[in-house]
Amino acid sequence: MSTAVQSRFLDMRALVALEHMRFTTRHRIEGAYSGRHQSRQQGGAGEFVDFREYYGSDDLRRLDWKVLGRTGKAFVRLHQDETNLVCTLALDATGSMLFGSGGRRSTRGSKLEYVQYLATALSHVISRGQDQVGLAVLDGGLREMLPPGGTPMHVTRLQEIIENLDTRPATRIAGGLRDLFERSRRRGVLLLLSDFLVDDLDEVFAAVRLFRHGNWEVIVLHVIHPDEERLPEGTAYRFEGLEDEGRVDCSPAEIRSRYRQLFESHTAMVRQYALADGCDYRRVSTAIPYLRVLHGFLVERTG
Amino acid sequence: MTFLHPWAVWLGIAAAAAPVVIHLLTRPRPVRLPISTLRFVREAIRQRRARSRLRDLLVLALRTAAVLLLAMAIARPQWGEKPLVSDDEGGQAVRVVLLDLSQSMAATSRSVEAIERARTLAAGYLRYRPGLQANLVLAGATPRPVFDGPSTNFEALREELARCRALPERIDVNRALGVASEMLVPQSENDNRRRELVVVSDFQRSNWAAADFAQLPEDTQIQLEPVTADEAPANLAILRADARARSARGRRVQIEVDVGNFTPGARQAVVEVAVGEATLRLKATCPPGKTTLSDEIELRDLGWQPGRASLVGVDDALRADDSRAFVVCTRPRPVYALVTRQKADERPSSSHYLECALVPDRRLGDDASAELFRVDPEDLSHSVLAPADMIVLDHPGKLSEEGVKLLAGLLRRGRPILYVAGELIDAVNLKRLSDAAAGGLKMPVEFTPPPAGQLRRGLFLASVRAERPPFSVFGDGLQTATAGLRFAGGLSSRRNDGGLQDDLLAAYNDGSACLVMTASDAGALAVVNADLAASNLPQSEAFVPLVEELTDQLLSRRREKSNATCGEQLDATLPVEAGAAEGLTIVGPGPDDADPTPDRFGRLSDEGAAAVWHWPAPDRPGVYQVRREGKPVFAMALNVPAEESELESLPGEVFTERLAGGRKMYFHGTAGEGDRRDDAWKWFAVVCVVCMLGEVSLLLAFRT
Repeated sequence: MSTAVQSRFLDMRALVALEHMRFTTRHRIEGAYSGRHQSRQQGGAGEFVDFREYYGSDDLRRLDWKVLGRTGKAFVRLHQDETNLVCTLALDATGSMLFGSGGRRSTRGSKLEYVQYLATALSHVISRGQDQVGLAVLDGGLREMLPPGGTPMHVTRLQEIIENLDTRPATRIAGGLRDLFERSRRRGVLLLLSDFLVDDLDEVFAAVRLFRHGNWEVIVLHVIHPDEERLPEGTAYRFEGLEDEGRVDCSPAEIRSRYRQLFESHTAMVRQYALADGCDYRRVSTAIPYLRVLHGFLVERTG
Repeated sequence: MTFLHPWAVWLGIAAAAAPVVIHLLTRPRPVRLPISTLRFVREAIRQRRARSRLRDLLVLALRTAAVLLLAMAIARPQWGEKPLVSDDEGGQAVRVVLLDLSQSMAATSRSVEAIERARTLAAGYLRYRPGLQANLVLAGATPRPVFDGPSTNFEALREELARCRALPERIDVNRALGVASEMLVPQSENDNRRRELVVVSDFQRSNWAAADFAQLPEDTQIQLEPVTADEAPANLAILRADARARSARGRRVQIEVDVGNFTPGARQAVVEVAVGEATLRLKATCPPGKTTLSDEIELRDLGWQPGRASLVGVDDALRADDSRAFVVCTRPRPVYALVTRQKADERPSSSHYLECALVPDRRLGDDASAELFRVDPEDLSHSVLAPADMIVLDHPGKLSEEGVKLLAGLLRRGRPILYVAGELIDAVNLKRLSDAAAGGLKMPVEFTPPPAGQLRRGLFLASVRAERPPFSVFGDGLQTATAGLRFAGGLSSRRNDGGLQDDLLAAYNDGSACLVMTASDAGALAVVNADLAASNLPQSEAFVPLVEELTDQLLSRRREKSNATCGEQLDATLPVEAGAAEGLTIVGPGPDDADPTPDRFGRLSDEGAAAVWHWPAPDRPGVYQVRREGKPVFAMALNVPAEESELESLPGEVFTERLAGGRKMYFHGTAGEGDRRDDAWKWFAVVCVVCMLGEVSLLLAFRT
């Protein structure tokens, strides 16, 4: 499979190393088409996995006549169906994702750019595995949604959207997640890429719990810029918020230690929320090349 | 409150504001940095402020306080009443510094003499300042200005000041103020100079209680600078030393020493008395105040002899008053002429009792003529009475006109007379004697014969002048000694308005006089109004001491003045036997004073029958002798005034409220309320250090 017009975030030469890897899921899923992922359906067309005593409500077609004839007991044959993966990439496009660009208008070096690279690569890997991939852009609400699809046109469209992504000064993404849940018709995998620097963290994970209750597999990719983890060296800074939060003058030396504590506390809280809700949590530092992160992510999931 | 260095206050304020100004001026320009975690920055700042705002405020307060306190310490704040005289005052001024040089200024306190402190204080007021003229008045018994008027020669004034020493005399305060007043009085109507008087003294109560500052010009600014501590330094002194050569006892001398204890508690005093080669040691526990110690001493030689009484083992404030000189003149036993009609062998008789009392240690059968001889009133003549030092009349009968005149003449020339009036005719004799003295004899009473039919028996003493001789000899035992005495005979008496009532020493219960002693020119007459033979007085133990004290008192009236105080004009009449002034020399107490320069110790001149020693300003204590051909014919003891020993000072408010005389006055108390004090800088410095230590402690406590 190839895309007609490549996104600037899609580096095919770099992705060659990941050609043999596939995005897998640890849970059985529901898919529209036959695929390589275990389906929740256990019909007769898949791979044989076991026998089970026949119940009256079972389909007679699945009765193993040979076993009945040989043993006189009624058993049915169980087969695991395989289906394709429906994956939705939910990208945080709030103002805080612009951090790292150094205040420039472009997104170079920002968390958003990193997410653009990572999401484009993920969409490529997922679509290459015959799975369907969708996209949701979150800011104050659900800014844009592309339902899952697997066609090259769909993937190209999706990557275009990712390429043209920009941020908006919003501090809440829970509403967008809720909208996404309501507009999603099929359960699947939700890949949430965010820095979680929001005001409604509790509500975000309340929305995540909706997905989890709907038997979605939720993967939380917590994007962190290394410069966020500690304050810069220097005597005086005027910190300006990226989400219209105003500005603060201070000497970083005076609050460096406390700031670090607060940031680590926030990170730990996000992780705790995610794990408590049964999500797969992964801390992603933009200091690490996204390909290495992706590789590690795929390897881990492959087991 | 004012400041000694006001510039330091402004410097302190500037220094306190400096950290804030420097912080504002050097505040770094902040680097603009977009950040995604502004909420964490805000939260960190909020939490940090909650902790460090208190620290910052405390540190800022402590640091600012430390800077301001240091500035205040350097500025030397002063509060209290502002001195009237100081170098801060500019403009034209005339200043007189009056320095007390009395003996009390030699008192030491904390091993420093008051005069040393006084010199330092006075020197502070004798420094050059544009427009200032000054003079120094050295105030002793005779105040002396250094210059005739205020001068700008401060160097000469300070040199004179450096030479000043405490003098063995008291200060004549009002004369000194008078001298200062002459310096300060305006020279013309246009003389609007500021007038300042600075008095540096110990302000002894005895000297300054009668100070009259009203004689100074009204606009004089008076500043009193005391040089002593609040409490008077402990002092023990010999206030008086006297040797009374008892005429009746020849070489036996009564030594009396007054010891002054000017300490809060009783003190043991040991006084060593030396007269010629004889010594005597007196011991007593002296309560605060004056204590009199006395004893007798037998001298080997006759004539004028120097003596000295010294306190032994005393360490007190004023050493100059720990010893005192005195002189004693011992003469041979007096010779009495007993004028009486009674026979010598008529016993008992009034004259016999008198003879026994006048020569008490004569043995029976001894010839008493060497000390007492009887004279028949009919034989009274100048030649008969010439050998007698004292004339005693008892039962003389009616005296002849010549005899009365002779007695009156001898009395006026200094021959004492003891008259025992036991008969009625004695009233006539006394009246004629009084008349013959021609106004020179004014007795307090006039003796008259008792009214007809009045029996003078069983009389007893109703009033006695116990504090005066001869009764003072009994001391507290006077009542015991005189209670049993009963008198008979004698004369009635009535008050004489022209006489001195103090001369009436004792009176009977009927109001008549018992004992009268009256001076008449150089002599003295004592009248005992009783018939001794009819009274029980001769049989009592009081008789002999009473007669002895009475005769001694009569004879002592002939004594010459033999002690004086330094600094006060000396006018002493030499005894007649010293002869004319020609050929007399005065020898001082020092080893080099045997051949003094002329008039070094005053001047001798003839006035009437005796020579007179005149010395305007005696300046050195000790015994001075007047000699003729190397033999002393008179001696005089010069001593420090006793008042100088009491070192108690007058409180400052007495000056400012009572003695100022309406003048502006500032009493620079040693540590009193209202005094101008500038010692707070030490506390400011201490609190400054505490603030700095507190800041360090605070920083350590809030250390993260």
